[in-house]
Amino acid sequence: MGLRGAVPSCGHFFPCRVSHGIAGTLLGEMALCAKKRPPEEERRARANDREYNEKFQYASNCIKTSKYNILTFLPVNLFEQFQEVANTYFLFLLILQLIPQVSSLSWFTTIVPLVLVLAITAVKDATDDYFRHKSDNQVNNRQSQVLIDGSLQQEQWMNVRVGDIIKLENNQFVAADLLLLSSSEPHGLCYIETAELDGETNMKVRQAIPVTSELGDISRLAKFDGEVVCEPPNNKLDKFSGALYWKESKFPLSNQNMLLRGCVLRNTEWCFGLVVFAGPDTKLMQNSGRTKFKRTSIDRLMNTLVLWIFGFLVCMGVILAIGNAIWEHEVGTRFQVYLPWDEAVDSAFFSGFLSFWSYIIILNTVVPISLYVSVEVIRLGHSYFINWDRKMFCVKKQTPAEARTTTLNEELGQVEYVFSDKTGTLTQNVMVFHKCSVRGRSYGDVFDVLGHKAELGERPQPVDFSFNPLADKKFLFWDPTLLEAVKMGDPHTHEFFRLLSLCHTVMSEEKNEGELYYKAQSPDEGALVTAARNFGFVFRSRTPKTITVHEMGTAVTYQLLAILDFNNIRKRMSVIVRNPEGRIRLYCKGADTILLDRLHPSTQELLNTTTDHLNEYAGEGLRTLVLAYKDLDEEYYEEWAQRRLQASLAQDSREDRLASVYEEVESDMMLLGATAIEDRLQQGVPETIALLTLANIKIWVLTGDKQETAVNIGYSCKMLTDDVTEVFVVTGHTVLEVREELRKAREKMMDSPHTVGNGFTCQEKRPSSKLTSVLEAVAGEYALVINGHSLAHALEADMELEFLETACACKAVICCRVTPLQKAQVVELVKKHKKAVTLAIGDGANDVSMIKTAHIGVGISGQEGIQAVLASDYSFSQFKFLQRLLLVHGRWSYLRMCKFLCYFFYKNFAFTMVHFWFGFFCGFSAQTVYDQYFITLYNIVYTSLPVLAMGVFDQDVPEQRSMEYPKLYEPGQLNLLFNKREFFICIAQGIYASVLVFFLPYGVFAEAARDDGAQLADYQSFAVTVATSLVIVVSVQIGLDTGYWTAINHFFIWGSLAVYFAILFAMHSDGLFRMFPNQFRFVGNAQSSLAQPTVWLTIALTTVVCILPVVAFRFLKLSLKPDLSDTVRYSQLVRKKRAQHRCTRRPGRTSSRRSGYAFAHQEGFGELIMSGKNMRLSSLGLAGFATRSGSGWIESLRRKRSDSPGSPPDKPLKG
Amino acid sequence: MTKMKKTSQICQSKLPDNTALKQQQLPAYRLQLSATGVLSGFFATGAFCLGVGIILILSAKSIKEIEIKYTKICANCAELREDAINFDKECTCSIPFYLSETMQGNVYLYYKLYGFYQNLYRYILSRSNSQLVGTDLKDVGNCAPFSKSHNGTPIAPCGAIANSIFNDTIILSYNLNSSIHMEVPMLRSGITWWTDKYVKFRNPSAINLSSAFTGTAKPPYWSKPVYELDLEDTENNGFLNDDFIVWMRTAAFPTFKKLYRRLNRVQYFIEGLPAGNYSFNITYNFPVTRFKGEKSVVLSTLTWSGGSSLFLGLAYTVTGAVTWLAAFSMMAIHLMLKEKRTLFIERFETERDRA
Repeated sequence: MGLRGAVPSCGHFFPCRVSHGIAGTLLGEMALCAKKRPPEEERRARANDREYNEKFQYASNCIKTSKYNILTFLPVNLFEQFQEVANTYFLFLLILQLIPQVSSLSWFTTIVPLVLVLAITAVKDATDDYFRHKSDNQVNNRQSQVLIDGSLQQEQWMNVRVGDIIKLENNQFVAADLLLLSSSEPHGLCYIETAELDGETNMKVRQAIPVTSELGDISRLAKFDGEVVCEPPNNKLDKFSGALYWKESKFPLSNQNMLLRGCVLRNTEWCFGLVVFAGPDTKLMQNSGRTKFKRTSIDRLMNTLVLWIFGFLVCMGVILAIGNAIWEHEVGTRFQVYLPWDEAVDSAFFSGFLSFWSYIIILNTVVPISLYVSVEVIRLGHSYFINWDRKMFCVKKQTPAEARTTTLNEELGQVEYVFSDKTGTLTQNVMVFHKCSVRGRSYGDVFDVLGHKAELGERPQPVDFSFNPLADKKFLFWDPTLLEAVKMGDPHTHEFFRLLSLCHTVMSEEKNEGELYYKAQSPDEGALVTAARNFGFVFRSRTPKTITVHEMGTAVTYQLLAILDFNNIRKRMSVIVRNPEGRIRLYCKGADTILLDRLHPSTQELLNTTTDHLNEYAGEGLRTLVLAYKDLDEEYYEEWAQRRLQASLAQDSREDRLASVYEEVESDMMLLGATAIEDRLQQGVPETIALLTLANIKIWVLTGDKQETAVNIGYSCKMLTDDVTEVFVVTGHTVLEVREELRKAREKMMDSPHTVGNGFTCQEKRPSSKLTSVLEAVAGEYALVINGHSLAHALEADMELEFLETACACKAVICCRVTPLQKAQVVELVKKHKKAVTLAIGDGANDVSMIKTAHIGVGISGQEGIQAVLASDYSFSQFKFLQRLLLVHGRWSYLRMCKFLCYFFYKNFAFTMVHFWFGFFCGFSAQTVYDQYFITLYNIVYTSLPVLAMGVFDQDVPEQRSMEYPKLYEPGQLNLLFNKREFFICIAQGIYASVLVFFLPYGVFAEAARDDGAQLADYQSFAVTVATSLVIVVSVQIGLDTGYWTAINHFFIWGSLAVYFAILFAMHSDGLFRMFPNQFRFVGNAQSSLAQPTVWLTIALTTVVCILPVVAFRFLKLSLKPDLSDTVRYSQLVRKKRAQHRCTRRPGRTSSRRSGYAFAHQEGFGELIMSGKNMRLSSLGLAGFATRSGSGWIESLRRKRSDSPGSPPDKPLKG
Repeated sequence: MTKMKKTSQICQSKLPDNTALKQQQLPAYRLQLSATGVLSGFFATGAFCLGVGIILILSAKSIKEIEIKYTKICANCAELREDAINFDKECTCSIPFYLSETMQGNVYLYYKLYGFYQNLYRYILSRSNSQLVGTDLKDVGNCAPFSKSHNGTPIAPCGAIANSIFNDTIILSYNLNSSIHMEVPMLRSGITWWTDKYVKFRNPSAINLSSAFTGTAKPPYWSKPVYELDLEDTENNGFLNDDFIVWMRTAAFPTFKKLYRRLNRVQYFIEGLPAGNYSFNITYNFPVTRFKGEKSVVLSTLTWSGGSSLFLGLAYTVTGAVTWLAAFSMMAIHLMLKEKRTLFIERFETERDRA
């Protein structure tokens, strides 16, 4: 609780230059932020020359995420806390109360709660910051080897400077952004995993520039004095431009030469790098975005309302002050005989001025500080419910759900947009060889004893691969018939697996005999090669010219003649191999759409059955590839190889010419079969997405993956379905193209005949107030797929609205190939223009910025990285828990918070406004109606617990119902339960109650007498009567508002009433009076007044009159305009429970879509393999190859990388 | 075996407890506004309010009350009191009136002030309870602006409330006929709250009351010191003076009446005040015209609930009537919509099943 007021005063990562020992004071801290280094124009760093580099004052490699140190804590924290409107307001009140002329309440009524709240918040902030310090220290103190004075020395990360040369070893984290100088691998190659950066788990290759790649030993490195001149720090992960000046020559540098902080070195024994960017300047840090203190929309609304209420207070104060001035002028001056003016007061006007401030103090209870405390307590309670929820506990990973921030719970009930990462969030990032079709026979379906298709969980034993010593133990397959076919020696099956073992770009590593490790660029390929391995076609090793495969136990070495590499247009790859018998054969695997057109006409019949199988696989959401082969005769191959060589040597349009040469040979192929790979979804993902969609939550998938993969997942997790009228694909490279594509998409949506809404979900359209444009009314379902580079254009200022409008009109949006920052930008865009609550969910470091940007960030825990979880507000281990988090916890939190706020404002207006009415009867003298103890205790004791119990425990419908009727979630999105209108209704109700609570006793007391004849209308009896009626009225009201009466509610409501009377009698007792006669003036009052029947009759009447209209209104609303939750509740009464379980796993429908192919590796890898550059000399046993090609292929590779990530706009995936 | 147990315990330790509280499954009553409940509640409440209202009106009607404003009647006295110089000049005023009906039972005599603000913030504060309870006569801390006299001695009783005590003397006389005027016997006792008389107000303990108050000054507007308020009755002297105690119980509103005396039901007055000619003989001391106030004397009887006015009875009756009206209209609406609603629910259910 008490998390408010933690707004960082400046960016999250300060340059870590706080000098040792000298405490940066508040001002120092501020100055540090204000006086940031002038923006760098270019960066210069000279290797091994700290003195030279020091001139530029680049940030060191120390990162700082903490906000305070011991000395700055108190001032900075208080400063932050008092930036809160509410805290300042209470401080101001406190100061007012210290002025005796103005003070109309005791000082302790404000200071005690204020100090309490500030202290709790400060403790909370301090603990948070302590943990940040700890994690900073942990990162900063990691060891790295730095080359200093000619020798390698262990240094902490934070002491690494720009210009240092550091050595990295295998599996180490890269400490800063480095220029790769040399590595253990030939040609200065090294492999990195960038999962922390962009979430892609496949390995990437980096290469040192040739001149430095020879600097393998320390002595030569120590002499290296090259200077890097490059771009200033930025957040573009895939761009780097700079040059190395060394020995009077200039060498261009690109991203291909860089190792970025956060990557992990893999499969490379060691490498040396020159630090170019350090600490906060690294691309990782530049991408992490700022930590923003998140508030809920209700927080913001509350702050606005507090301001409004303050305005209201001032108005009332002014009215009463004017009243006071007039009264003092008309009556008070004459009354001076009995009560002379205070010495300080010399005129009625001044008296009015003073009474203004007095009334501000008295009426301040409309926004009591207990409001904020209670809100925090309720949120804390809700957070605990999330932590305790067994239904969000993942048994497999032993991880419970965790609410890491306690301040956002009710926002969970208002989410409209969910931004989800794909890998690791929707999918498990595990590719599984699931099914295949060989020569028209489909394998992989599991049948139970009766011959029915078996469902998951009731599977028999997996296939036993023990015959094969090289098999991967982790590989599981359930259909024994395939292995039988292999064992029977079915030639087609053999050819099928032979293809899989030959046609790929996987590298193998065999540390010990028989212990094979595959280094696959894409998990898909890995899965296929592993499958072949287990079925007896073990890919064992490769050289640039050969591939060795163990076929059913015998080693066969194929001569590798050519790799026709994959690219986005070809969507296929082929290898041409010569088998030991000397036959040349082309093996090809590729996307079905492409490959099926290139088959030999004779395979027509087979093609039909295979197509059926493909449809079936695609319908199950599997990723398919079609396999084919073709025999080539020697002469043709020689002739073709010649042409290929020419094409590859061509100066202009080399790509096109190569493509057409490839095209030529990959024709008239013989169909072998198809594979189906499961990109295994997390459990329950399609169901969750379906349910969330029904709850009107829009789901956008933002992924770093390729477009095809992303779209494929879109289908398998039912985001995209056959109901989708059209999928728009935006892949334009230029601003104009993107704009055009967006425009076309919009036109299509507008033109389409309005299809009939499908059932219940679509009939209830949003109220018109929500329609921001015509596009929202578009009927029919559309989906948008946009590429990273198109997104870059679409997010530019002049197009973002167009993009947003188009995207929001679509049912599903998939952004692929996006950078972490773009993820954040997309979220930011929706946040900025849609006024909707956004939720981002992800598991990797690449999702951190998105998680931080969105209103609510959810991290998937239990995965390898924990960055996402650390940055998140909520974490759990399965995507499917999102439905429970939103539809149950979020919905309830929102409902409870709204009911709480409504009631809270009501009770305080009812309480406070009585003073306003009394002002007219007491000469506007700022006399309170109640005893000051009652004022102090009203919010803390008498009325706090029942409303807290309601705020924590209330339920409108049972939790199963909110899953059954996802529409119940809608009020939160539309902000229906607490908004300005509701606020005014509560206030009106409060004022109504205050009028009755004051004027009914007034009417009675004005004339009445006690039963012993004494006057009834003495001030103290009146105070007790009004206070008692108020307490009873608000207690009955909370009883009505509480929809879910647990024992706790009973205890608190009855308990509060009991405590009220107990305290009342105690305060009015003789004993206390005898001890403190001046403090307890109400002696004997309770006994005496509450013994009067008139008093009780008054209290009863007040209660009846205050409550009955509320009941009547609610009843009428229930009858005339019931909302969904009313109806659900009512229908519960009416119907008998029908045992019915929704959301059962639906059998996979057949889909007409079939193009989910499983290529995830980048183009260019084939070339790398053929050149042998990525192979160790030792493992090659071939010495001469290295000289064969110069840096030509690297050049071409680089060129391809820089301009290829695109392909000409794809055809719509379905049309 | 033990190892297994241990691991299972470890597993359980992470799994949240399966308690009703933590799983939000606490048994509870779901409050629902059902038609029968609401309507029967409304009818019952309406009946109750109507019943109470009628009883209250009837009993309020049975009260006999007579009020005479005497500020204008005693205009000459009022004028005299406007000037503080005349504080020692006595001014009496006789107000004859005719009681047409006997006032049965206990009769109470009140004085009533109009426009006197006993509820001003600074006025209410201006008293010292620790002085009035007799423990610390010197404690005049809260009594500004009447805490100390000119020469610095603390005032007892201090403060604006005590200083402004109502000091008219009201004597009711019964004119049996034109010659016999007899004073109606009145009781002074029993007009204060028990706690006021016996807890809140205590005289300082001393053999002699006047010696107890040595070292204090009388309030500036008082004609005699507090220990001379009633020299005959020690239980009515000093801080224990009933009129003083009644005055010190400040009124909530600027118009208020305070109990002055009650009828001593002896002789002619056993049944109450018989009908006939009466007159109030008032020693007019308390100035009200300066602040445009008014004074009146009130004679009143009581009923079971005290001196309740018509207001409460009327309010109850109106509430009861409106409640019944509301109940009938709600019932009508409910019956009209019932069929529609059942249909709606059915449709809702089928749609749900379809979804």
